[in-house]
Amino acid sequence: MRRRFGVVGALALTMALALGGCGAADDGGSGTAAGGAPVKGGDLVMARSADIISMDKTTTFDNNSIRVMEQIMEPLFHSSADGTKVEPWLATGYTISPDGLTYTIPLRKDVVFSDGTPMTAEDVKFSIDEDTKTGAAGWGFINAAIDSVEATDDSTVTIKLKYAWAPLIADLSLFSNGVIPVDYGGKTAEEFYAAPVGTGPYVWESWTKGQSLKLTANTKYWQKGKPYLSSVQWNVVPDANTRKLQVQGGQIDIDDTPDWSSLASLKSAPGVNAQTFPSTQIDYVAFNQTRAPFDDVHVRRAISYAIDRQAMVKAVLFGNGEVANSLLSPGTPYYDENAGGATLDVAKAKAELAQSSKPGGFSTTLLIASGNPNQASVAQILQSELKDIGITMEIKQLDPTANKKARLASDFDMTLSAWTMDIPDPDQWTSFAVDPTGGSKSAFTSYDNPEVVDLNKQAQRETDSAKRQQLYSQLQQKTSEDAFLAYLYYSPYVYASTDKVKGFSVTPLGGYLLQDVYKTE
Amino acid sequence: MLHRLRFIPGRLVQSIPVAFGVTLIVFLLAHLLPGNAALALLGERATEQSVAALTAQLGLDEPLWRQYLLFLRQLVHGDLGTSLTYQTPVTQLVLQAIPVTLSLLLYALLLALVISVPLAALAAFRPGGARDLGVRGFTLLGQGMPQFWVGIMLILLLGVSLRAFPVGGYGEGALAHLYYLFLPAATLAIAMSPTIIRSLRSSMISVLGSEYVGTAKMKGAAGVQLFRGHVLRNAAIPTVSIVGVNLGYLVGGSLVIERVFALPGLGSLMINSIFTRDFPTIQGVTLFVALFVVVVGILTDVVYTALDPRVDLSRTARA
Repeated sequence: MRRRFGVVGALALTMALALGGCGAADDGGSGTAAGGAPVKGGDLVMARSADIISMDKTTTFDNNSIRVMEQIMEPLFHSSADGTKVEPWLATGYTISPDGLTYTIPLRKDVVFSDGTPMTAEDVKFSIDEDTKTGAAGWGFINAAIDSVEATDDSTVTIKLKYAWAPLIADLSLFSNGVIPVDYGGKTAEEFYAAPVGTGPYVWESWTKGQSLKLTANTKYWQKGKPYLSSVQWNVVPDANTRKLQVQGGQIDIDDTPDWSSLASLKSAPGVNAQTFPSTQIDYVAFNQTRAPFDDVHVRRAISYAIDRQAMVKAVLFGNGEVANSLLSPGTPYYDENAGGATLDVAKAKAELAQSSKPGGFSTTLLIASGNPNQASVAQILQSELKDIGITMEIKQLDPTANKKARLASDFDMTLSAWTMDIPDPDQWTSFAVDPTGGSKSAFTSYDNPEVVDLNKQAQRETDSAKRQQLYSQLQQKTSEDAFLAYLYYSPYVYASTDKVKGFSVTPLGGYLLQDVYKTE
Repeated sequence: MLHRLRFIPGRLVQSIPVAFGVTLIVFLLAHLLPGNAALALLGERATEQSVAALTAQLGLDEPLWRQYLLFLRQLVHGDLGTSLTYQTPVTQLVLQAIPVTLSLLLYALLLALVISVPLAALAAFRPGGARDLGVRGFTLLGQGMPQFWVGIMLILLLGVSLRAFPVGGYGEGALAHLYYLFLPAATLAIAMSPTIIRSLRSSMISVLGSEYVGTAKMKGAAGVQLFRGHVLRNAAIPTVSIVGVNLGYLVGGSLVIERVFALPGLGSLMINSIFTRDFPTIQGVTLFVALFVVVVGILTDVVYTALDPRVDLSRTARA
């Protein structure tokens, strides 16, 4: 036994190092809070599956980058906590001219950038124009209705539109319209976005690519007393299981995407809070209408009626979600709960199929993304349910980028996909989904119903909220009847944190405001 | 001694065509995959127009041969190209990742030797005895367990339950690295040690039975002196080449382990760049891994030459 010294000695040495490390690492938050007043100080560490790509708000599409840039650069307006309204943020409000073509926006006067220079109307004009200019390669399409932006005086901005455009204020709440210093503060765009400056609660500190990113508190933040944390760090931890164990071990404060399967065990783990937040996500089956028999509404309806959505919520989301019944999700403004989306009814499914061009059933394929366990489960459930009504469905897996390429090329029969909103206005999604010219061929389906396209256009120009509700209700009902998508479920966002983290919440648009977050001892 | 290392420059020259062959294969394989970096970068919400615009901007609409020639031209100038994802030089990303992977491998090798040498000796001194059986049982178990599973078990036991080690990450500063890398290095060491133990054990048994050990014993050598001076040195020769070959495999194993332990090394860089179709980074990392394996091969021969005076690789190379 004595000869085992080598192993035991090595272990003892490393244990000693471990204990030393523990002592040195613990310099976190200070003060005590018994669930009452927020505590100042402390470093928050979040783990997530992938790194950011870029801080250029006008051309970056990935959520990981967006969540970080939202802490640094702020827009004029903001989504309300429940995601259904737009609230003033760097602006104090807005007025619309009687013809609906001119918006006058007064700005807050107490806002300074993190470098100390005051924010003026010139900065706002520059920022919106910068976004508009990105054109096809970025988010510029969101500003398509804008004719000109003017700095009327130091603290007022006037926006003139080419045509009446109801989603304008919501569009101005998008991160791509976030306010940055005029002319990038004398830098080139590239230099500026390497270490962006904004009016947000946190300031760019450092980025070790593929590893971690750190922001520190903005001491000049316009919301006095905030932010509470000294710093926020995002670590790249690709493996979901590792992230789960890290939050359980207390090594990180927040795991940004735990697996649905691990949610129950996280909820019961001591010292861990696993929380879900309502989202605007809708998961759906898309039918390719350029291919028979999916150009036949009866075929599409038959499939929609054959789906047991409740079973999918149970199997895929482990019960953490809702059955989808409309093109819009409940977290989206103008959602209509009576939109008439199909629910499970095998008799109706069979009757629809009997009326269709393929009364005896047919063979088809479903395209899914490989490596996505949720899509794999949905596909298997769908496969067995369609078999019951006489449709043989083969599951075709392609990795995510190849999958996207196939959808862009309309090279699929049916496919699984999902959507989340970026602004608190349904237009972003409805234009992408139902207007063949508004995005990618009506969410890759080539669906083209002139009546629905017209409803969408009317809703874009209608500034009266009640009238807009009517238009969007009609749109939701028509799209349900046409069954151009088979809606599956609405899934919430899920986060796991240690119980030291307080004040963390996520809007239905997926954003989180870290100026309100603090850590207790 | 030095004249016996004359084979090194020749080997290095030979590795150049190997490296180019590797780049060609990797380039073709990476580009034959459907999907491109523009699709991966833009994600779900991008429109057809934005995908086309970014594809053109990244030069991915150029003919394949021109993309490869461009890559080679840059390579000759010591430039591995620019990462499509991060828009920074690949060399910078690779240089940032190399210390992580290299220290993980060295740490693993060290731990593997710390585990293997005593266990092999324990088994070899009385072959067939209870200790020998125990050690052989350990090697069977060690070879049978998948690396990622061992990793997760170590995390659960030492990371989560005892909270003695961090669950993933790399830490800041040399001491922190040593502390953060212990679990992943131990995982790799457990996977590596069975092969070393088996090889060392059998050569130790034959060395112990040899005449020169008998002679040394008669001359009065015993204990640690006998073990170090006569047994270990001679028994180590075949093990060195096994360790060399295994280091090559270990690089592959570290890809998985780096992911499990969230280590920002070459493995993580490789996996992430495959997911994002970041061709220049995939090529750069593969090139480095290929060169690493070549260098380990050469180093193995150097150690081999140093341990065994009868070996002269420069002569065999010329013959």
